[in-house]
Amino acid sequence: MAGPKTSTAATSKSSPAASPSAVQSLWQAYTDTTPSRLKLIDAFLVFLMLSGVMQFVYCILVTNFPFNAFLAGFGSCVGQFVLTASLRMQVNPENKVEFKEVSPERAFADFALGSIVLHFFVFNFLG
Amino acid sequence: MTWLLKSLPLLVLAAAVQASVLTLQSPRYTITSPTATHPRSEPVSLVEKPATPVVLGPADTLKLSFQVVEKDDGKGVQPHQTFLRFYDESTGEEGIQPIRVTSGGKAKFELNMARPPASLPPTSPTSPPLKVSLLLGSFAHSPAKFDLFELSIPASQPVAQHPDEASFHLLPEIQHTFRPEQKLPPRPVSAFFAALVLTPWVVLIGLCATIQPTVPHLFSPRILPFTTLLGAFEALLLWYWVDLKIGQVLMYGGVLAVLTATAGKQALGTTGAWRTGSK
Repeated sequence: MAGPKTSTAATSKSSPAASPSAVQSLWQAYTDTTPSRLKLIDAFLVFLMLSGVMQFVYCILVTNFPFNAFLAGFGSCVGQFVLTASLRMQVNPENKVEFKEVSPERAFADFALGSIVLHFFVFNFLG
Repeated sequence: MTWLLKSLPLLVLAAAVQASVLTLQSPRYTITSPTATHPRSEPVSLVEKPATPVVLGPADTLKLSFQVVEKDDGKGVQPHQTFLRFYDESTGEEGIQPIRVTSGGKAKFELNMARPPASLPPTSPTSPPLKVSLLLGSFAHSPAKFDLFELSIPASQPVAQHPDEASFHLLPEIQHTFRPEQKLPPRPVSAFFAALVLTPWVVLIGLCATIQPTVPHLFSPRILPFTTLLGAFEALLLWYWVDLKIGQVLMYGGVLAVLTATAGKQALGTTGAWRTGSK
């Protein structure tokens, strides 16, 4: 997941003392080189991660009382994250070498089908 | 007289199945006591009960003798089973004593109160006299039971309690303690965390506003059916959550799936052509 995910052209290796500028340059490279569609997918991934974290925090701090509801909600976040991450991997033009037999359209169709099946199971479990 | 009435069905049975009936010839009991000079001897009546019970002291000896014969021809019979039964009516305790009978049917039984047999049931000072009866069992004859007399014997030691007796009493009711019902947290807490869980939506909207993605071909006639059918699928699942049953959702989902597949083939084929053709 580490390799094909981010499309950084130049990651500068700098000493720990200058790490803020390394992060900044990483961020700059990301915003400059990533296509807007991939950025959209990344935004969705961030949203899913935050959702899952918030649900988990509630479960830890307050109660896990309708446990099936917690599992359904958390599971939907995790499952959707996995599906979206695999879509991003397959759709990224820089990974065309690795996914020769999977076209981006095929990847999107897989993503749509997987999402619908996931949503069906989540609604079943939500109660 | 009661004996005759009791044996009437036996006689009928005897007439019907030609099974013989047993009876006792000259049953007699003798009580010897170290204090009295002469032993007391009495015949036992099979027909009527004696008025007073036979009383035995702690050092007395009771001797019982009789002969088992067939009723019709008086021939001596050795039954296969001969038991003397001592029965206490008040407590329901009984003792069985087997008696040895000779081949000619003669039997003798001795009960020495100085050395009582273990088959005697326990008695208390307030218990009524024991009912003594004779039970005969034979393969060739109908079974017979004769009530002999009532016997008063000295009181025995109280009955030792059986070690398992406590387990036969009524046990206390089982009390169940169930886990307390799980409660929902108070409303303000729930509201706060509900708002917290919805904040990622704000983040998403903000990020989308920053990215400002373009959807140039969204309303193209080749793309729109596919996206609307996907939306319809989500709507179907929401409907399933609130109302539908599994059979219905699978049926509608099957129909929608076929439509979505064809629309998707068309839409994605178009986008693929755009991607390879124009780009």
